[in-house]
Amino acid sequence: MWRNYLTIAWRNIIKNGVFSAINIFGLAVGLMSCILIMLFVREESGFDRWLKDSDRLVRMHTAYIKADGPSFLTVRSAGMMMPAVRDYAKNEIEDGVRLIPFGMTVRKGEDAFDETLTMADGSFFNIFDLPFVHGDANSSFTKPLDTIISEKMALKYFGRTDVIGETLTLCCLRDNTVPMTISGVIKDLPQATHLDLDILVYLQPEIFAENDSVLNTWTSVNVYTYFKMRPGVSVAQLQERLTYWVNNESQFRDSMSDFSSDGAEKKQASDFMQHKLMAVPDLHLQARKDAGNMGDLSPMGDQKMISTFVIVAVLILLIACINFMNLATARASQRAREVAMRKVLGASRGQVALQFLAEAVAIVMISLLFALVAVELVLPLYNQALGRELTFELFNDLPMLFSLLAVALLVGLGAGLYPALYLSRYLPGHILKSNKSGESGATAKLRTALVVIQFATSIGLVISTAVVFSQTNFVKSIDVGYVSDNKLILNVGVARNNLESLKQQLVNLPEISSVVYSSEAPTQDNENSTFFKLMENIDGQTANEGQIFNYHNVGYGFFEAYEVNPIAGRLFSQNHGADKLAAPQQANEQVNHASVVINQSALKKLGLNDPQQAIGLTLFSQNILQDYPFELKIVGVIPDIYFRSVKFDVRPSIYMLNPQRFRVASLSFKTDDIPKLLKDIEEVWKNNVPMQPINLSFLSGMMAAQYESEVTEAKLFSAFSVLAILVACLGLYGLAAFTAERRTKEIGIRKIMGARVQDIVTLLIWQFSKPVLIANLIAWPISIYAMTYWLQSFPYRIDLLWLLPICLVTGALTLLIAWLTVGGNAAKVARANPIKALRTE
Amino acid sequence: MLKLHNLSRTYQSDEVETMALNNVNIEIKQGEFVAIMGPSGCGKSTLLNIIGMLDSPTSGDYLFQEENIAGYNESKLAIIRKHNIGFIFQSFNLIDELTVAENIELALLYHKVPAAERKARVAKVMDKVGIAHRANHMPSQLSGGQQQRVAVARAVVGNQSMILADEPTGNLDSAHGQEVMEMLQALNEEGTTIVMVTHSPSHADYAKRTINLFDGQVITQNIKAA
Repeated sequence: MWRNYLTIAWRNIIKNGVFSAINIFGLAVGLMSCILIMLFVREESGFDRWLKDSDRLVRMHTAYIKADGPSFLTVRSAGMMMPAVRDYAKNEIEDGVRLIPFGMTVRKGEDAFDETLTMADGSFFNIFDLPFVHGDANSSFTKPLDTIISEKMALKYFGRTDVIGETLTLCCLRDNTVPMTISGVIKDLPQATHLDLDILVYLQPEIFAENDSVLNTWTSVNVYTYFKMRPGVSVAQLQERLTYWVNNESQFRDSMSDFSSDGAEKKQASDFMQHKLMAVPDLHLQARKDAGNMGDLSPMGDQKMISTFVIVAVLILLIACINFMNLATARASQRAREVAMRKVLGASRGQVALQFLAEAVAIVMISLLFALVAVELVLPLYNQALGRELTFELFNDLPMLFSLLAVALLVGLGAGLYPALYLSRYLPGHILKSNKSGESGATAKLRTALVVIQFATSIGLVISTAVVFSQTNFVKSIDVGYVSDNKLILNVGVARNNLESLKQQLVNLPEISSVVYSSEAPTQDNENSTFFKLMENIDGQTANEGQIFNYHNVGYGFFEAYEVNPIAGRLFSQNHGADKLAAPQQANEQVNHASVVINQSALKKLGLNDPQQAIGLTLFSQNILQDYPFELKIVGVIPDIYFRSVKFDVRPSIYMLNPQRFRVASLSFKTDDIPKLLKDIEEVWKNNVPMQPINLSFLSGMMAAQYESEVTEAKLFSAFSVLAILVACLGLYGLAAFTAERRTKEIGIRKIMGARVQDIVTLLIWQFSKPVLIANLIAWPISIYAMTYWLQSFPYRIDLLWLLPICLVTGALTLLIAWLTVGGNAAKVARANPIKALRTE
Repeated sequence: MLKLHNLSRTYQSDEVETMALNNVNIEIKQGEFVAIMGPSGCGKSTLLNIIGMLDSPTSGDYLFQEENIAGYNESKLAIIRKHNIGFIFQSFNLIDELTVAENIELALLYHKVPAAERKARVAKVMDKVGIAHRANHMPSQLSGGQQQRVAVARAVVGNQSMILADEPTGNLDSAHGQEVMEMLQALNEEGTTIVMVTHSPSHADYAKRTINLFDGQVITQNIKAA
């Protein structure tokens, strides 16, 4: 029996080559997209689950709630929290660990590299039970400066992994070099983790001063805090304990008393400072919402992107299934005789339905084979686009194999069920006698409805893609307020002692026109904020409330180099000796003076409208240079410039000139010979800062990197949309070919009545234009609604009016594609000799 | 073998009610060869479809081997049908995608006959209708007469006791038509009951009894002298 089914199925596939090809291609594309997206989603949602006891690991995040304006969010926490919480919640917590990552130069002989070191409490391996290659958790990480490195690091510095007892030199820890003896080597972490550990150093809390802000503070958030919960404890339980402790028993609760006393209603400490726990396996996809703009240990995933991709995969499969359903029912008349005869010979409806279902599943399985091959071919490209190393080894990957078979079975049943029920319904007597197809008007209507769904889906995808692209381009094209061409950013953090001579030698290079220092380069987003108080009384402002402002330090000529012009007042100038912020020569009780430039947002925050009004006013602050009191005269106002990504608002910012804070140099160059330029700069660097690796980047590259993930997302999104449209069009082509074939008799009669070729073509094209037009009318409002919602998350977004032309163009485009698809067939049928057509019916 | 009692069949379309069969009373005995004749639209095919259980009566009784099956549903009818009745159609109704042998074998597939026995029976019946040399051809490669012989083979391969033939010679020239009629006669002589709808008086002559239908009613029954 099954052999007979297979024979019939196979011969039908061969006989209807075009239709089979359309079905198989469509389903293969759908399944391929599905597999690619499954691979990505699985990797993304499987982050950190491989860690031992991962379900018991949590990390503590911190949020400072600001009454006015956005809260300050971070996935870090204060240094004193971990031991205090661990000791308080002994019943819930097994152990805790703090991680403190920082950049350092690591030397071995003549080689020097910038590395990220992670200092960790000795309890590290109680929380993260990572496998060792050499050494072990009990003996390798027990005393200060014990150093564990990854296999990768061992190979990089020593060319082998058996390196216990070898030494690396840490450069410039408080201007000293520190030898680190390697006590263990761990296996490289897999890609699917939020941890980024190459060099792990035993944290000795004693080396931090009592008032040090890294470790010994309740409010400064500089460490990553992890806990391992006891078995059976839930995150919610521990969270409840933690919040109770914060509000009632924590030592820092009292330090916040000045907050809790103000206002009529009594507030709790957690109304100002929240400590939120998040399960470690959730970190990759969920941490983003707690991370503010400081980021995490490694690039974060995006739940929204995952969901979008899953939806796209399902839609492409849906479109392919609809193709199958449409072509199967459209061609049902060809199979009607077979069905009737089988029934006459004793087949029950169930048997016939089962036959067609099996046929559908078989076609899906064939498609799956093609899809598997396609995945193998496309995977390298896909990995490149995503920046991942996804692997696809089906036979070493039983869960994947079985879920693929399940998906294929599901798709087969989904696509085959309706045709199976439809075909098996035929009553044999009627069909065998009259030679009729048994096709009812309702089926044709259903087919049209399915085509509408297909096209509405594709149109929706195209509109979404167009909007995503427009928004991405728009963001990239926003005027950032400064000139970023021909700029190199040189990290000078390690050369702080000879900035002046470095600058002089760089400027002397013929291809360099200027060198300016600053605390951050554009795109480098360090949030430095503190209280500033306006000294003068101005109209409408009754009290001199201190307000929080973001501040940067820039050197002379910085704004000029970036071609930022003041809208009022002047920029920093060496002719005004008092601009510079400097510590007093001798400790005195007097107030110190310096100048600042503010941006327009800061002007607004101060309650001023006219930039001129701000010139000459004074800001007071005591937190910008140790705790010396400073009166800062506003000498200039500049337009808002985007120091950080345009994905975020511009912050009210105050620019001052404190050379102590300079970390980067912006080099403006005027040459096309980039290799020589880089070589010259490197030479200067080596002469000034020997033994330190140079860290030099193009500003243009740094700016592009900010939008990398958006661009990737847009590219993938459009690739999948194109596939969806392609599959939908193939289906339409098949349907059109079939309809033209079925209507040969009608067309013959029309021609005999005097219809011309173009009349017939118009007739057929109009038949297929209708569903596409209806699909547009359905897709437009839905996509406009969805994309308006999506755009809400951008502070700067394209004008919503742009959606209209996008919709219209998409509509015209789909119509055109549909016409091209249908037109060829229509013309062929229309040109045929009518007599021939009428004889064949 | 079967007995129709006061059997009627009406077709309902939107506003028109058509009475295809009106109070038909017919009895057909085991081993008979019955021809049904009448002008187009008189209800011949409806009658044959009801006898063949491809259609159900609107009212009246249908006793098949003493069992009243008038109210049976499709699947019950299918079971009775496949064990007792073979069909032959004017348009042959062979499945284009299957070879001659596979077409004949199809009838046995739904009878759960083991593969080896199927092969043997198909070979035997192909011999009987003289089509064995065409076993692996596709229907489109055969002449009309050959195709109808395959259809006859398919109708009898399951050892059905009754064959219903709906104008089996309608699409054939006279020589081929006669060939098929002789084959049916031979089957009848071996004991198979045959009910045949035909327009051709000369082919009706092969039957032992002719029923004339007109506007859904039995007008006359002629019994051929032995």
